[in-house]
Amino acid sequence: MGVLKLAACVGAALVACAVIVPAAMAGAPAQRLAPPPPPLKKNYATSWEEYQDYLKDAKGGTKHTFAQLPDWSGVWTHSGGFALDPSMPRDKIPDMLTPEYKARYLKKIEDVAKGIEWDPLSYCLPAGYPRWLLEPFLRENILRPEQAWLLTEQLAEIRRVYTDGRGHVPDDEAYPLWEGDSIGFWDGDTLVIHTNNLKANQYQRLEPDHSDQVTTVERMRKIDANTIEDLVTIYDPKALVKPWRIRQVFSKVTDPPGLRINHWSCEENNNVVKTGAGTSDFVLPGEQGYKAPTTGAVTAPK
Amino acid sequence: MRKAAICAVGLGAMLLGSSPVLAHHSGAMFDSSKQVSVTGVIKEFEYTNPHSWVRVMAPDSTGKIVEWGFESEGPSTLMRNGIKRSALKEGEKVTVVCNPMRDGRPAGALMRVTKIDTGEVIYFRGRPPAAAPAAPAAPAG
Repeated sequence: MGVLKLAACVGAALVACAVIVPAAMAGAPAQRLAPPPPPLKKNYATSWEEYQDYLKDAKGGTKHTFAQLPDWSGVWTHSGGFALDPSMPRDKIPDMLTPEYKARYLKKIEDVAKGIEWDPLSYCLPAGYPRWLLEPFLRENILRPEQAWLLTEQLAEIRRVYTDGRGHVPDDEAYPLWEGDSIGFWDGDTLVIHTNNLKANQYQRLEPDHSDQVTTVERMRKIDANTIEDLVTIYDPKALVKPWRIRQVFSKVTDPPGLRINHWSCEENNNVVKTGAGTSDFVLPGEQGYKAPTTGAVTAPK
Repeated sequence: MRKAAICAVGLGAMLLGSSPVLAHHSGAMFDSSKQVSVTGVIKEFEYTNPHSWVRVMAPDSTGKIVEWGFESEGPSTLMRNGIKRSALKEGEKVTVVCNPMRDGRPAGALMRVTKIDTGEVIYFRGRPPAAAPAAPAAPAG
């Protein structure tokens, strides 16, 4: 690893740690912020209105053949830490939230400061989208003319984005989904995605919650050989006082070369439990309820 | 293993906050303000998701052998930091440094393992001491 790569690694990590420390809510040292995402060309009342405007601008979308699709191959990972909006000071986050969700967020931060913290991932539930945007570990993108599959290693989650011109599932068939229902189109080399039918969830462990009314518009584009940018507008009239515009970045993993994504099972070695106080704990070997790893031989031979 | 150590700088910094690892769980059970050193013998290296665990048999203050568990990242994250399944073997004598459990039970968030027989240090998290500055070059002539 060269000095430049190390420096980039440390720099990214510093940004990351600056934006996830809950103490930043209460006068902690200045937070290092990412640049804000570019503004929308106008305000939209709904995500659908924004999406339709992009579709109109793209004259119905670019009809790519296999050969014309952008090359998003390789193994990728999320960059930039765990903040939903790396450009926003933490003390401004409550201003984005409706009174109910502001109170929930502030309670969460207060609880974490007291050592009370539980993550539904510990039940081996999926992260789901939009939390998907912020999860670490590995990713892969499978692009076809009629569908894009956006894969994450964790729990083998797959976002299927239908780019064949179909609409969302009809209202009478819709129900809240971990990854939601995503349709999209190509605007040149940009994948434009509209997502609805999502479950109520949290954006990340130390980030606000969202409701099941959340919908998003994304513009994903490979901006250089090793970077995919995702410009996202989040609409959630129940939880947000206005749409939230964010920028997330995914970086190509080149070290070690040839790294593969393998099945990521949460159940094979999970002994995390929720305590009566609502926080997280382990069951250790020899304690009641401990589950030994189910993967067979786990120790390298002598 | 040098590569692992360097990568751990960024990884370690990213892990700050309430959670000392890229976890599928909160780090509330760990006391990240403390570091504990445990010397014993490797029982098992569970190279698994969602987390890897290093199990070490070590004597307590009365001499009784106790099983310690040290949690780290899953395989793909360890692999990116140069730590393969073969990095630790059953029976190896090691000293492990971790952020311990708050309640004193024998477990912790793994930071580094030193192999007693070889002196090799494997940085699962955190950073190696800064290298000593190079000696100034001798003046020409």
